[in-house]
Amino acid sequence: MSKYRFLVRTSARSSLAYWGDLLASSLFLLLILFIFLKLWRVTYASTGSQLLAGLTLPQLLWYLGAAESLSLSRPRITPEVDADVRTGALAVHLLRPLSYPLYRLATHLGERLLRLGLYLVLAVGLCWLFTQEWVISPRGFLLFALALPLALLLDFLAYFLIGLGAFWLEDTQGLTLLYSRLQLLLGGTLLPLPLFPDWMQQILSVLPFAGSVYGPARLFVAPDGHFLGQVWLRQGVAVGLLWAAVAAVFHLAVRRVEAQGG
Amino acid sequence: MSSSSVAVDAEALCKSFTLTLGGRFWRREKRQVSAVNGLSFSIAPGEAVAFIGPNGAGKSTTIKMLTGILHPTSGHLSVLGRVPWKERERLAYEVGAVFGQRSQLWYHLPPTDTFDLLSRIYNLDPSDYRARRTMLVERFGLGPFLQTPVRKLSLGERMRAEVAASLLHRPKVLFLDEPTIGLDVLARQSLRDLVREWNRNEGLTVFLTSHDAGDIEHLADRVLVINRGTLVLDDSVAAMRQDFLKEKILDVAFGEAPRPWTAPGVTELSRTGYTVKLRVDTRQTPIERVVAAMLDSGPVLDLSIENPPLEEVIAHIYGVASRGPA
Repeated sequence: MSKYRFLVRTSARSSLAYWGDLLASSLFLLLILFIFLKLWRVTYASTGSQLLAGLTLPQLLWYLGAAESLSLSRPRITPEVDADVRTGALAVHLLRPLSYPLYRLATHLGERLLRLGLYLVLAVGLCWLFTQEWVISPRGFLLFALALPLALLLDFLAYFLIGLGAFWLEDTQGLTLLYSRLQLLLGGTLLPLPLFPDWMQQILSVLPFAGSVYGPARLFVAPDGHFLGQVWLRQGVAVGLLWAAVAAVFHLAVRRVEAQGG
Repeated sequence: MSSSSVAVDAEALCKSFTLTLGGRFWRREKRQVSAVNGLSFSIAPGEAVAFIGPNGAGKSTTIKMLTGILHPTSGHLSVLGRVPWKERERLAYEVGAVFGQRSQLWYHLPPTDTFDLLSRIYNLDPSDYRARRTMLVERFGLGPFLQTPVRKLSLGERMRAEVAASLLHRPKVLFLDEPTIGLDVLARQSLRDLVREWNRNEGLTVFLTSHDAGDIEHLADRVLVINRGTLVLDDSVAAMRQDFLKEKILDVAFGEAPRPWTAPGVTELSRTGYTVKLRVDTRQTPIERVVAAMLDSGPVLDLSIENPPLEEVIAHIYGVASRGPA
């Protein structure tokens, strides 16, 4: 596994070259958190409630800081896999003693962990500046960190699976857009899931979207061991299913390369 | 032949693809297309072979079969004693590949970082890796730009680093696919010299595909020409020049105006002062007869016989191949 660990490190170093993108995303984080603060301040005032979705206004803003950091830190996996398939670069990857899915996972994690670390530090600073309250605790950090590995793996597997669709589809951009928008709306990036109607929450609880953003972000501001168990269970089921799907589709895809030349 | 005396052994290798033609999804027409058709050849360890052919001849398909990416439809193939598509990962430790249009170097990082990564990918012993890297850096002249991000390198520097990277794990066979594409004359020559040196001194088996006649001439001892999936020529580069195209270029400098002389198959290409350049088809008039006639035509100050450029030879082979086997 040392080769994959080294790949994570190399990918993180390489992604530092995209400092312009990192800066632009940081500015976006500042802007979006400021807008959220204004919007939710009005919402809390108009409902007259101290708690929405079980969270106070400062907690909600810190939640959104974590959710946005998770969302913004996601590198573009699908276009890279799509390009590997379309240009035949996949064949070059297959010439090395490496597993292609693990190679992509390692390069994805390298870039993502670097970005996530940066955005989280920034989000914490901005949330403290905007709310003048320190909402998170060491326990929140710990539970967030514990929910993170499966969240990142789940996210990777979903987008990698879409990228492999390039073997059969003309273009995977449409599918990527659809999945990313569903994740944005139904995964807790814009608002916590308890704010959805009950019937929708039941549906969302079995979909994979919540496991990659809502679960970890909620644990960040409202640490709860029981909830961590629920998050792990949902993440585990989603990762298991997606892993099986990726393995099956990749096996078919490689057979297609072997038989047809990609 | 035993596997130790053969680096690559292909016998009656065939590969056909199923091509899906247009039409509605549920009644799309399918057609079998033969990309490689009964290819047989073997390459000895340490040999440098150019594998050439026009576009669509089956070169890429063959290379993909040699590296284990493609399954042949039928036939036998072994590379370094291994069946490539059954032992692709093991074979990957023993072969290297350089693709002129696909980089294995990390674009935003210096070459040294890719070398470090490759040492992990190929499980190299750290001290062995350091010694090997030092030697490659020195031999390929990578020192001045080893710490420079790849995106800032010239194409020539990048390709030198690419080849060095592919040699890091001591491959026994190196596949080169259009390695000099886009390089200027000096960078091209430098890369050819380096690969040739490695081939001669380290016994590296080189399998080259290129459309550049200079690559073939400088890098290969032997040429395999493929067209429409079939081997149309397997010969040494020197023999291909001499035998395949029976034409010579004759340059004669006279001391005074020569007497006019003609013969079948002899064409005057140019005349400058008292210097005449002739193209001779030796199938119609032997070269000795032409030389004798020139010596009779006037006082000869200088005379040279040259083979036609390799590009012409290759173009001629492709032309013959497209009309039928040579």
